[in-house]
Amino acid sequence: MLESAELYFNADHGYLEGLVRGFKAGLLTQQDYINLVQCETLEDLKIHLQTTDYGNFLANQPNPLTASIIDTEMRKKLCREFEYFRNHSLEPLSTFLTYMKCSYMIDNVILLMNGALQKKSVKEILVKCHPLGRFTEMEAVNIAETPSDLFHAILVETPLAPFFQDCMSENTLDELNIEILRNKLYKSYIEAFYKFCKNHGDVTAEIMCPILEFEADRRAFIITLNSFGTELSKEDRETLYPTCGKLYPEGLRLLAQAEDFEQMKSVADHYGVYKPLFEAIGDGSGGKTLEDVFYEREVQMNVLAFNRQFHYGVFYAYTKLKEQEMRNVVWIAECISQRHRTKINSYIPIL
Amino acid sequence: MSGKDRIEIFPSRMAQTIMKARLKGAQTGRNLLKKKSDALTLRFRQILKKIIETKMLMGEVMREAAFSLAEAKFTAGDFSTTVIQNVNKAQVKIRAKKDNVAGVTLPVFEHYHEGTDSYELTGLARGGEQLAKLKRNYAKAVELLVELASLQSSFLGLNAPLLISSQSWMRESEKSSIG
Repeated sequence: MLESAELYFNADHGYLEGLVRGFKAGLLTQQDYINLVQCETLEDLKIHLQTTDYGNFLANQPNPLTASIIDTEMRKKLCREFEYFRNHSLEPLSTFLTYMKCSYMIDNVILLMNGALQKKSVKEILVKCHPLGRFTEMEAVNIAETPSDLFHAILVETPLAPFFQDCMSENTLDELNIEILRNKLYKSYIEAFYKFCKNHGDVTAEIMCPILEFEADRRAFIITLNSFGTELSKEDRETLYPTCGKLYPEGLRLLAQAEDFEQMKSVADHYGVYKPLFEAIGDGSGGKTLEDVFYEREVQMNVLAFNRQFHYGVFYAYTKLKEQEMRNVVWIAECISQRHRTKINSYIPIL
Repeated sequence: MSGKDRIEIFPSRMAQTIMKARLKGAQTGRNLLKKKSDALTLRFRQILKKIIETKMLMGEVMREAAFSLAEAKFTAGDFSTTVIQNVNKAQVKIRAKKDNVAGVTLPVFEHYHEGTDSYELTGLARGGEQLAKLKRNYAKAVELLVELASLQSSFLGLNAPLLISSQSWMRESEKSSIG
């Protein structure tokens, strides 16, 4: 019921909601982006960033500044903020934030699995892992010889265990292609997250469920598009589609049968939400790609999440918007450093 | 006629015929040397021209490829570790062949594809289109690099014989002009 959210939310989560709204107010505005785009060198970019919420985060970096250094530092800042939220949160916000971390954990686990099987040094891989996806059993990964060993010994303890159990039996873990494993894990993860939000009810469900439905459908579309012309069969493709979106069940069945972009577009035309998105796609190199259009829609939905109060969606929305901002700044930095300014304005505007 | 280059010979008909034959042989040899030097110079100039064109094209292609890497990173996130970890067999390989120009053998490199793309499913959920474009751009860059390598090794292989044959030709011309 709506009243309970207004009455009890602030007691447990009011401080953190206030904090996240403060952080959101510090996101780069359109004016900031215009200033960044006009920079000639990365040093100029650094000076402009000093006037924003980022402050002196690049102050102690050695002199040849590169786009990847900027990326790492921004990611560290986001990670610090997120860990602060996570450490100060109470249930059920803690579970919500853990669910958010799971998607990064999945990527890290795939990376570690791959590295451990090829006998690479664990330390090198740990450096490359996403900081938000850290879990305590990470260093112990080099004990395992095969993926099923890895699962039994280590992953059973992590929050990822139910996702592994969902999608397969332990024997098949060994033969599975690493990308297919990654996508299957993500499918179980997003379905579990969706169920959690829905069961929580209240404003959180009203905000998060459409966002997660869009994420599930977007994944279905992108997987379909990228599997044209590869060896991925239609049945395999269908097992990778998350079922918690608007496309389930008829749309997913139609998508699994699609063989080219036109057929995929005709599936999207059945759904009022996706028809205008597909129509916004330009053709060839000048216009937007499907992925750009999806990113813009995601940013729109995340910004709208801040219009309601007393729900956990603000944390999800803030993290996603911050990530998009990081991608934008790194894109601008790369265009500047490679002196390739024709597409410098193709970042996704947020505010 | 200088005193040093005189050949001592007994004046008879036979000696004259033999001398004429020797003269003819020497002239043919001289012409062949000139032809060799000319052919080598021609080939050298062609290679040089191609090297310059290829190098300019290389600059463009590498720039394009580096930019498409930035585009792919924008959409797909950081996939570099995944790619590096999954390296096993090479897909593009080089065959070395020999080419003969006026008696000088030059190496020629030719690339060929073998095996399937082991990164077909990378970027399945994000950025697949940009990754495909990235793969194409870098494949073009690699092919251009192979061509450049072939041209540059021909250049080096041709340099020494060209110098030697042109020096011999110079000495020959000097001698004949004095004599």
